[in-house]
Amino acid sequence: MTATVVAAGFVGFEITWRADVFGGAPQASSAAQFGTVGINFRARKARTSEEWNAAVEELSCAVA
Amino acid sequence: MTEISRSIPGTAQPVDGLDIDALRHAIQEEYSTVATTPEQGFHFHTGRPLARLLGYDDRWLDGVPEATIASFAGTGNPFAVGELQPGECVLDVGCGAGIDSIIAARMVAPGEVVGVDMTPAMLERARASARETGVTNLDLRLGFAEQLPVGDEWADVVISNGVMNLFPDKLAGLQEMARVLKPGGRLQIGDILVSKTVSQKDKRNVDLWKG
Repeated sequence: MTATVVAAGFVGFEITWRADVFGGAPQASSAAQFGTVGINFRARKARTSEEWNAAVEELSCAVA
Repeated sequence: MTEISRSIPGTAQPVDGLDIDALRHAIQEEYSTVATTPEQGFHFHTGRPLARLLGYDDRWLDGVPEATIASFAGTGNPFAVGELQPGECVLDVGCGAGIDSIIAARMVAPGEVVGVDMTPAMLERARASARETGVTNLDLRLGFAEQLPVGDEWADVVISNGVMNLFPDKLAGLQEMARVLKPGGRLQIGDILVSKTVSQKDKRNVDLWKG
């Protein structure tokens, strides 16, 4: 998810919360089968192309 | 930028063979039911109990019609991620029954909020809610996340809740959010995270997208 958010033009991606939000729902769900949790996340649109390029570079280093 | 973006390792790619029209139809059908008969029970939680589970302050829901609260179907809490400030312009992508749009409209007044949803029944519910709660700085529009009916660099903040996972092309949806945000604008999202690998066959299964 980090890569997709950064690729779209954002920087500073951060997941701030995660929790099981499907457990006990009235109907059966495939959520548990796929290890699905609810999350909150934030990011910020890059102010300049230089800032975005730096975020992409950082991401590439992390992947490598 | 799209070609460069798609080449970045780890970036979500469109699902080959996914019938996007069928997916959108299935989602509209599901959420029309949530809007009109929320009491029937779904594979996700809804309503006030869900709002509490996600950390919504009860005061945020004061004056919001119970029928609208009952149709709430988020997976997170965009307001827990960062505070909205008076005077800001906020876009709510996939606003559904309008709870988050109404909360945002109260927080940013005299700023403006635009809520966008692709399901007419949900928009109808949201418009009725806005009238009943008396918010005047909220504009609700029909549209798709990948083609948002909002001008470039209009928003200070984009919020969304339980919707991004339904984008058939997640990069395209996020790029639209980036287009409408001002430089430095904030993205505050509630969504889901899948920790296990999903096969291409499963990614083409419209029923799994719904739950």
